[in-house]
Amino acid sequence: MNKKWMSIAISLTLVFALLAAACSNKEKTEGGKGEKVTITHYTIDSPDRTFVEKLIPDFEAKHPNIKIKVTKAPYEQFDSKLQSSIAAKNAPDVTSHWGYGGFMEYYNKDMLMDLSPYLEGFKASDYNIPDDVMDIYKVDGKTYGIPLNSYVTVMLYNKDLFDKAGLPYPPTDYEDKSWTFEKMVEYAQKMTVDSKNMEEAQYGVDFGFGERDQRPQYFGANVYSDDTWTNGGKPSEINLSKPEVVDAYKTLYGLIYDKKVAPTPAFSQSVSGQFGDPFLSGKIGMSVVGSWSLAAAADFSFNVGVAAVPQSPKGDVRSVLYVDPLFVLKDSKHPEEALEWIKYLITTEIQEKSIELSGGNPPVNQAAAEKYYNNFEGIDPKGIQQVFDGAYKYGFESYNHLISNYSQINELFINELAGVENGDKQVEEVLPVIEQKLKDLLARVNKP
Amino acid sequence: MSEVALENKKNTVRKKKKWKLSQLIGFVILLVVTITMLSPVWFMVTTSLKTTKELLLFPPTIIPKVFAWGNFSELFTNTDIKFGQQYMNSLIVAICTVIGTIISSSLVAFGFARYQTRSSGFMFMLVLSTLMLPYPAIMIPQFLLFMNLGLHDSLLPLILPSFFGSAYMIFLLKQFFSTMPDELYNAGRIDGCSEFRLYWNLTLPLAGPALATVAIFSFIWSWNDLLTPVLYLDSQENFTLPIGMAAMLSSKFRLAPWNLLMAASILSVMPIVLLFAVAQKRFVEGIVLTGIK
Repeated sequence: MNKKWMSIAISLTLVFALLAAACSNKEKTEGGKGEKVTITHYTIDSPDRTFVEKLIPDFEAKHPNIKIKVTKAPYEQFDSKLQSSIAAKNAPDVTSHWGYGGFMEYYNKDMLMDLSPYLEGFKASDYNIPDDVMDIYKVDGKTYGIPLNSYVTVMLYNKDLFDKAGLPYPPTDYEDKSWTFEKMVEYAQKMTVDSKNMEEAQYGVDFGFGERDQRPQYFGANVYSDDTWTNGGKPSEINLSKPEVVDAYKTLYGLIYDKKVAPTPAFSQSVSGQFGDPFLSGKIGMSVVGSWSLAAAADFSFNVGVAAVPQSPKGDVRSVLYVDPLFVLKDSKHPEEALEWIKYLITTEIQEKSIELSGGNPPVNQAAAEKYYNNFEGIDPKGIQQVFDGAYKYGFESYNHLISNYSQINELFINELAGVENGDKQVEEVLPVIEQKLKDLLARVNKP
Repeated sequence: MSEVALENKKNTVRKKKKWKLSQLIGFVILLVVTITMLSPVWFMVTTSLKTTKELLLFPPTIIPKVFAWGNFSELFTNTDIKFGQQYMNSLIVAICTVIGTIISSSLVAFGFARYQTRSSGFMFMLVLSTLMLPYPAIMIPQFLLFMNLGLHDSLLPLILPSFFGSAYMIFLLKQFFSTMPDELYNAGRIDGCSEFRLYWNLTLPLAGPALATVAIFSFIWSWNDLLTPVLYLDSQENFTLPIGMAAMLSSKFRLAPWNLLMAASILSVMPIVLLFAVAQKRFVEGIVLTGIK
């Protein structure tokens, strides 16, 4: 018995030693390759991001002196891996704000390299990127990020539920003045079956416009003072007690509890799990949502259409834009080569190729956009194009890209508004609490 | 005589009846609890056999309409997932960790349990105090250490620390070793055992239940660990199961492939179930063999 144990232990230790030797050998050969410059591209481990690996052979053939290495982490762990590798001076060269933090958070933590010195001769128009999109990642005239994909907010609707209620489909044209918020609520009322029986219950609309602090913008109200967009994402004033903001939240949550046309969080969770989208269950008529949901359209168990977000009662912002950039991190030793890789990724040919490889990432290069509009089976490409055009025209960049320390701010809104969303509290009692906590938080994190 | 026998018979009949009723109630309670406990497992198994379209149906189907056995093979054939490779890596890490933890922790625990010096109490407190350190506190320094050793992006940073003892396991084993009678060791010494043989030939074979506990704990911790592999591993060929499974949920741009994820979950709980079955035997064996209580 003892001998047997001993021999097992010894043989396993040997295996372990062999493994150790194998690993350390690998390190040595990699280190000894010589003069090639290696650029690390750090991304989320999901097929719509890791597809870049398939582009590497082509890029390396065209740039023999550059080697691209893709490193990845699951979404939830994206930030912690990034932070620890920066702390250990092992930062990747190229990445984006794919975790919880946004551009301004990276900028204020001094993680990003100013790309302006390397961008001489670079014209956004050569890559068909609109100037205003290019400007999103500029601070004080310095460029810190190159746009890669641009998502917008769209309205997805369940054609089957519309047909059953005998309603006409909503329009794709943002200029159609008859498509208003009131009209949307009216349609929603006709589709809603507000029942305690989960099998019968269905709701007309799920209004997921941006994150919670950005939603009042649709109603022409702003939670943050205007200087936020010019001073590095640090709001000097919070407007949560202003009547228009209070009214905006009341209208929004009124959809759930007064008009009863929108699902409660409890309903959404029970039909789609904690993080899922209730629209997928086929029990929601219209869903205002990020255009990434389109990528899954082929898997829906019902017919789906795309429409314009309706005209707002007051404001003119009708879409949240999510322009994903690529950054070069400050510690990168080879910014020029990193930029070569980024430029390669935004060429028309590669952006077109990426749509297919990623399963439907919207290109920032407008010359590749047409291919994107044709990518969704069963949905009219012209309709998608019209919706995207309108969304760009009436769009505002997502707050999470623009505000400093956004992950903490967002968490505060989520936690405090949960009471209102669950129907336990009124908007009027919660907003002052958020305002106070937010002021304390900002005073703490934005200390000069 | 016969009266007594009759009385006894009556008693047993009455007792039997009572016992049956309580048995019935107990049975019903157990049944309800079992169904409640097993329902997530049922959900896991049925979801793993559904097609993507059926996943989205509401109300969810209790038994899949079509059994999509292909989900299991897809895990191994889909080149984006690399499930087989991840499974192998997880097994290597977990088995090496178990060996490392058992060797190092039992040796240290043996020292603390059998040898008393003036500072051993203080040293033991020092070892225990490392339990207070949360992992994030040592995360970056440890990362730097392994970076400088050139071991980044290999499985070694996940395995090596276990060869330097784990405070929790040392504590657990020390308590067990302390209960072993001195007579046993004295007898061993009289027979000419060296100190190492006392540890190797006497203590370890008698510590079956404690070692099985250590093996189970360290295997499960290592098997389920997500943060450490995420930090150290960059190349997909080195990824472990938790990374692969977390990655399936990564994309907010797609429907999560719950069917594949559940199939992966079923396969990933297998080693733990197996380990429990084997270790349970060791528990009993340990008690029988030692004869010490």
